[in-house]
Amino acid sequence: MHAAFERHQVRYLFIGKAGAIILGFPDTSQDVDVFPMKDERNGRRLVAALREIGFDLSLERETDILRGKDFVEIKDGPFDIDLIFAPDGIETFEEAWARHEDVEGFPVCSIDDIIASKRAANRQKDRESLDRLEEFRIYLRQRRP
Amino acid sequence: MAKRPLSVRIRYGFIRTYRPVLDDEPYRSFETMEEYRQWCEQNLPKWLGFARI
Repeated sequence: MHAAFERHQVRYLFIGKAGAIILGFPDTSQDVDVFPMKDERNGRRLVAALREIGFDLSLERETDILRGKDFVEIKDGPFDIDLIFAPDGIETFEEAWARHEDVEGFPVCSIDDIIASKRAANRQKDRESLDRLEEFRIYLRQRRP
Repeated sequence: MAKRPLSVRIRYGFIRTYRPVLDDEPYRSFETMEEYRQWCEQNLPKWLGFARI
């Protein structure tokens, strides 16, 4: 996925549990959470990249992505993906991008933004992982030079 | 940072099981996050953990 997104110059960030896993959090997720920049040109790039990977995008799906509906979930592709154009707890893509982490070329929301997003969503499953994510943040900071 | 390479963390970090209702449709989209959260609360089994506290 990452290679296709790079080829098509999609502006995006991994977020949620997916982002945390890429940062090194030892957990599992059932889907890949992606925070794309909401912009029609970026949407076109995103659609092209998803099609290249093997997602079957009908006109309806393409339109939803180009419009940047806040939440789009696709479960019949090569893997389950959530496109979250307006994640809770994060003001703008550009602000999140300014704080993002690059993990071997993978653009990932900062652990601060991942935690902020989960805290703002405030679901049972977020609440269950927040304490561990906060401890993981301390671990990450201690490991950094 | 992590001792296991990123490729291994990705290979084993993402799994596909089955979540009732949530995984029964191939596609959904929501105009707003609030609409999505409400749909989750009204339709998903509570034990999946998607309801807000």
